[in-house]
Amino acid sequence: MSEPFEPKIVAFVCTYCTYAGADLAGTSRLKYATNVRIVRLPCTGRISPLFILKALQKGADAVLVSGCHPGDCHFTAGNYHARRRWTVFRALLSFTGIPEERIRFSWISAAEGAKFAELINSITEDTRKLGPFTQYQELQTIIETQSTY
Amino acid sequence: MGIQEQYRSEAASLLSSGEVKLVIGFGAGSTADRRRPLFARTGEEANRFVLDASCIANLSTYLLTEGLLSDGKKVGIFLKPDGIRSINILIAEAQLKPDQVVILGYAIENGQLTALEGRSVADFNGVNEKIRSLALPPAVQQDIERLEAMSPVERFQFWQDQFSKCIKCYACRQACPMCYCRRCIVDVNQPQWVNTSSHTLGNFEWNIVRAFHLAGRCAACGACDRACPVNIPLRLINARMGREVREAFDYFAGESTDQKPVLASFSKDDPETFIL
Repeated sequence: MSEPFEPKIVAFVCTYCTYAGADLAGTSRLKYATNVRIVRLPCTGRISPLFILKALQKGADAVLVSGCHPGDCHFTAGNYHARRRWTVFRALLSFTGIPEERIRFSWISAAEGAKFAELINSITEDTRKLGPFTQYQELQTIIETQSTY
Repeated sequence: MGIQEQYRSEAASLLSSGEVKLVIGFGAGSTADRRRPLFARTGEEANRFVLDASCIANLSTYLLTEGLLSDGKKVGIFLKPDGIRSINILIAEAQLKPDQVVILGYAIENGQLTALEGRSVADFNGVNEKIRSLALPPAVQQDIERLEAMSPVERFQFWQDQFSKCIKCYACRQACPMCYCRRCIVDVNQPQWVNTSSHTLGNFEWNIVRAFHLAGRCAACGACDRACPVNIPLRLINARMGREVREAFDYFAGESTDQKPVLASFSKDDPETFIL
């Protein structure tokens, strides 16, 4: 009997807002889905699109990228830069066929522990419905015979 | 006097007067309809320049050859409007100094060559305004629409089929005037961000990274697309990225030499409809 599908979610968060928000969720004893793996970074501006690709490559079914609300960045403008980058990167992923529902973006401040818990729960549920991201994960195993040209 | 003779003599006089140290243009290629880059350093060599409707390559990529411009001398170069666009982007990204480039501009329309007015970078602002008003080629537009009408699964399959052909020769990178990094991210191996073997996963990552690094910087010269030995339609992905920065940020790469690179700048009221 196979195990029921449990989505793997990787969350790239900034340490000053969303990580503190996740911390607040914990200290407030809020329960949320255990499917999320949090990766803490100095700022959303530090989050390279390559992180997202790497997470998908290593078997993530969904990725969350989250940071400070606009105007609240510890480094003044890191999240503004990140926002532009995400806009373009999201369009690129969508155009290459990586569903938009699998890469999520949010602003969560240090005071929004409840928002963090709710978001993780809803992403987990959405991803459970989508199922595992086998299409991407299978790329790992495809070794082409390269006879096509 | 035809445009070829006119530019030959102009290149020759630029070289013999010592105004430029080198003129980059086209010479005869291996077949009747192919042209090869020609680097003339003397007036006599300039007589071997060829200029006709087969001269479609974007030569601006040669300007960034290591050490070429470090002596502060000028270089002349044959450029179409898309090449002028790439020059503008390179200047905006501080890779070139505008006063080191002498442009021998020409345009090809319906197989007919016309000479472009102006020789310095500043003379070509009008040309770039004209480019902004141009729509995408209909074939590219149609292919993009066809892809966007697919479901994500079908689209993924389409690109998987395309990228599985990739042999990681990096010809797209070598041909591109914008890929000037001394050390490309795919050559970084500690940590190894992109799989280097040419299996489909590594190919997927490489092509996504390449397209992302070109977003808002592509001059749509099509050099990568022509260079690809396995005919991956890179023009589609580049054009889609170009459309994205234009729609989201009203940004048109290569419009002027003093625009800020789109992903290195921001506006407080950038769109963010997708952020929860």
